[in-house]
Amino acid sequence: MSARLEVRLLKHLAGFTLDVEWTADGGVAALFGPSGAGKTLTLQCMAGLLRPDAGRIVVDGRVLFDAAARVDVPPQGRRVGYVFQGYALFPHLTVADNVGFGLRGRPAAERARRVTEVIGRLGLRGFERRYPGELSGGQRQRVALGRALAIDPALLLLDEPLSALDAPLRRTLRDELRGVLSEWGTAAVVVTHDFPEAYRLGDRIVVYEAGRVVQSAPRAELLWQPASESVARIMGIPNVLHGTVIKAVPDRIQLRWRGQTLEAVNSPTHSYLPPPEAPIAFFVRPEYVRLIRKDRVVADLRHHMNLMRGEIVADEDFGTTCTLRIRLDEPGAPAQGTYDLEVEVPHLVYEILEIERDRRWEFSIHRGSIHVLPA
Amino acid sequence: MSAETLSALSLSVRVAVLATLANALVGIPLAYVLARRRFRGRALVDLLVTLPLVLPPTVTGYYLIVLLGRRGWLGAPLYAATGWSIVFTWYAAVVAATIMALPLLVRTARAAIDSVDRDLEKAAYTLGRSEWRTALEVTLPLARNGILAGLVLAFARALGEFGATLMLAGNIPGRTATVPLAIYTAVQTGEEHAALFLVAILTALSCVVLVVANRLGARAA
Repeated sequence: MSARLEVRLLKHLAGFTLDVEWTADGGVAALFGPSGAGKTLTLQCMAGLLRPDAGRIVVDGRVLFDAAARVDVPPQGRRVGYVFQGYALFPHLTVADNVGFGLRGRPAAERARRVTEVIGRLGLRGFERRYPGELSGGQRQRVALGRALAIDPALLLLDEPLSALDAPLRRTLRDELRGVLSEWGTAAVVVTHDFPEAYRLGDRIVVYEAGRVVQSAPRAELLWQPASESVARIMGIPNVLHGTVIKAVPDRIQLRWRGQTLEAVNSPTHSYLPPPEAPIAFFVRPEYVRLIRKDRVVADLRHHMNLMRGEIVADEDFGTTCTLRIRLDEPGAPAQGTYDLEVEVPHLVYEILEIERDRRWEFSIHRGSIHVLPA
Repeated sequence: MSAETLSALSLSVRVAVLATLANALVGIPLAYVLARRRFRGRALVDLLVTLPLVLPPTVTGYYLIVLLGRRGWLGAPLYAATGWSIVFTWYAAVVAATIMALPLLVRTARAAIDSVDRDLEKAAYTLGRSEWRTALEVTLPLARNGILAGLVLAFARALGEFGATLMLAGNIPGRTATVPLAIYTAVQTGEEHAALFLVAILTALSCVVLVVANRLGARAA
């Protein structure tokens, strides 16, 4: 189902201004960004719970709000399902009554049939007579989804749907939620401040920062091509570094960083051509830095490009992976305080290479793993 | 038991029940509006409702005479039109008890309504409910125990009202003398048995009311 979503909002509040514009072609759009960036405010405007000062909201060709044309459909008439942070289930009503709450006004038989259907599809059979207080976190999430989906909404809004849960359950329910969203095929907007969650749930990710949209892109594009250094920082990408341009051509960028000459791929579609000597930001994914085994013969330069040498100054064990902090054998202050690069290796590699004992390494970064961030 | 004691008892119950009903009709919507709406004059309404809680009851009674007396702002036109005045009738006792009890209900009910999660109301709006239906189906049911506790307190206050009632309704045995006024009269005239009897009944009722209100309050929390 392709419900085209068009959102343009301006809302002034005390000490905060929301000024955003984005569109989505059906599917799930994830609004991602730090808390206080205006994500929930956007949802409330879309649901009609908060009136923007200006702007326009269109869902599937239906204008829900248009300040210029004086259109402002009240929340009761928007047919927009809202899953609140913490779910906001009616504590005095049973699961069945919660799910059927939005079906008032329909004939009793139809209402009962719809409630049974929704409860069945969400795996809540047997819980019809329970109260929200008697349910687990996962069951509550499903009741909240069921209540919002029962009205067959044109759009489903979810505000931090997983934040009320603890870590292990969170991951399970994230996948469950993704399943429900794709199975029901309803266009949805999910708010989250957790990047893996945004990536897992969203087909498109809209990045918010301080009341503005800093990037809106399909999720894969966002992951590999953050539009700017600030987007990369909001995403929590490690190893965001600063160098100087040596030469930029449409498919390659050569840059200088910490005494090294690095070669990076320039995106053929969004090529970025700063002049020589211009400052340039880039990032290196920690899991794409390759340590060079000492038992192998001399490094093949074609294979191992961007070769560097350094010492591991700190490491952190995350169970399945280890994060190494490497300081290059170069004079001058390290790029990130006490170290230059963060490198992530599987725990098995850490053991096989005896990294605990052996602290000096040569390593390389493929040019495709150095991502230039346009200024 | 004398006829006067009996009439004081039945009058007091009638006054307290009617004042509690009036409180429910006026106080619950007022508590809802004060808790949920932002409008001009809200602070003033809040002040006026709460004032009888801190003013001496005789002062509140005086204002009621200014408002409802034969030459009062509302009382004068009423008297001119019908030749009837509320002053010195048992209706006046109901009005005095209602006004004196109102702040207790409004404050308790308002706190209970304030504690209802607003997201629940927003959820109801997105599911098609008007504000009115949402208040009836979500907000008020969830604030029920707090509202009931407020009504119980209001009933107790109405039952024990003395000062404002004396000012507006007078102390006419058999007509406007409620239990507290009858106790006063009994003590003044040395009818110690009658006084003791009525005092015991009011004390017992107050104890019951406090226990019930505490139970409701505990369940509401």
